[in-house]
Amino acid sequence: MASGAPTFYELYRRSSIGLALTDTLDELIGAQHIDPQLAMKILSNFDRAITETLNDKVKARLTFKGSLDTYRFCDEVWTFLIKNVTFKMENGGQTVTADKVKIVSCNAKRPGDAP
Amino acid sequence: MSNQTVGAVYAQIIADVIDSSRVDFEEMGVEESVLEDLKKGWQRKLTQLNVAQFPWDPKPEPAPQPATTQAAPQQPAPTPSYTQAQVNPAQDAQQHLSFPGGAPAQQNNNSNGPQIKPEPGFAMNEPVIKQEPGAVNNGFPGQHAGFSGAVAPGGVTARERAAQQLQSKYGQQAIASINALQNGVPQASPLNQAQHQGGQPQLYSQTPAQAQAHAQVQAQQAQRPGQPQQQPQLTPQQQQQYAQQRQQYQQQMMAQQQQQRAQQAARANGQNGANPSQMDGPSEGYEGVLMRRDADGNPVEMGRLEIDGLLHEQIASRAKQMEGGGLMLPLKEATKHRTVANKSSRAAGPSQVDGLDDDIKEEEVDEDAINSDLDDPDDDQEDDEEDDDSMGHIMLCMYDKVQRVKNKWKCTLKDGVLTVNGKDYVFHKATGEYEW
Repeated sequence: MASGAPTFYELYRRSSIGLALTDTLDELIGAQHIDPQLAMKILSNFDRAITETLNDKVKARLTFKGSLDTYRFCDEVWTFLIKNVTFKMENGGQTVTADKVKIVSCNAKRPGDAP
Repeated sequence: MSNQTVGAVYAQIIADVIDSSRVDFEEMGVEESVLEDLKKGWQRKLTQLNVAQFPWDPKPEPAPQPATTQAAPQQPAPTPSYTQAQVNPAQDAQQHLSFPGGAPAQQNNNSNGPQIKPEPGFAMNEPVIKQEPGAVNNGFPGQHAGFSGAVAPGGVTARERAAQQLQSKYGQQAIASINALQNGVPQASPLNQAQHQGGQPQLYSQTPAQAQAHAQVQAQQAQRPGQPQQQPQLTPQQQQQYAQQRQQYQQQMMAQQQQQRAQQAARANGQNGANPSQMDGPSEGYEGVLMRRDADGNPVEMGRLEIDGLLHEQIASRAKQMEGGGLMLPLKEATKHRTVANKSSRAAGPSQVDGLDDDIKEEEVDEDAINSDLDDPDDDQEDDEEDDDSMGHIMLCMYDKVQRVKNKWKCTLKDGVLTVNGKDYVFHKATGEYEW
């Protein structure tokens, strides 16, 4: 990233869409179509794109309940492991349950971002 | 909760990334066809993940409904094996314990009473699944009769009541038990046999030896022409003879399995809240096995682990023969939390059972003792597994607020991607409440 431009979390690279992108980039690098440097640029573009899209385009609200198994707060990142969790979309009404889910959450107010 | 919007959101993200990367491609001197390859490959991989329905996919796919229904059957599945294993090892243990001597049998029955009491409730499920309808109703009164006889061994009225009930329920099949009751023969074993004979034939399937013994006994009965099936004129001596014969035969059969049963019984004891150190108690019993095995011709002394492995192999192979594989669990696993039972049942290899048990036991003890998983290395491994698994249940998001009052947590999250049950969901805002 160029200095001065806002940085974005690389958190979403672990999502399914992020993993699909990194896999594809790996293949392209392996086939020598692109070099790793370009791949890094694409990934940082992805960081920005997904953050902005989730912020601007998504309106869905979600509630969930469960029993907290593990919590961790390290380097401004919360990690929760929740068991027997039930997710509910507020307007849809449909619920989804899982025996456990891991939540990785970064600070919405980025300390380096504010000034 | 729908993931209808996910496809559109992802499509937009992809378009955004591709557009903004075009400049970078030009700067690096990479052909634009590669960029197109990137887009195609990315979309193809997402489609393969099958986390949502995407605009670029040709055909519409079923809504996330399958994901939820798919998860549901996994939960009920362990229940039958749970109940089954819950019932039968206890029965085994009870029966085994009743044979060596009459007097301890009473004590054992008494001490086992509270543990076995819930059985009728559990057994209720079982006949519905497995048994022919005629036998369903007979099972439970038989058990109660057995208990009333065992719990109040000295009480004449209880004995009579038990006898009456047995007669009314089982007719001639229970005669032996009734006579045994009236003659003061050690009650536990005939009663148990009555239970086996009359009420719950499916119990035979648990141990081949039992089934064999029973078949033999019944064959003996059938072979005696002088003693018709209606047996009112049988003298008590004859009945006693019967009972003794059965006991002898079953003792023979049991002798092969006695060590295994002792193991199970020890497990049952350890399971029911006994001191964990008692798990090492039966080691004296194992030394008996060790000696016997030596006499059988093994020149080398067998270690305990080896013997354990042998026994477990035998048990597991028999269980598999009878059950068609995997339904029968060791009591210790079966009476555990269901999730643990799930895990272990999946990996129920014959020789692995022993090692697995130990691991699980330690886990359990740790959880109970410390009640915190923060420092638990196992948990980190779990996390790592999830990290590696792209389809793991994971939510990636930002937090606005994380609050805690005592053990109650509330958090406000935003801009998240959630992957659960193989489907993706996106949300702008999420609130979670959970207890630690």
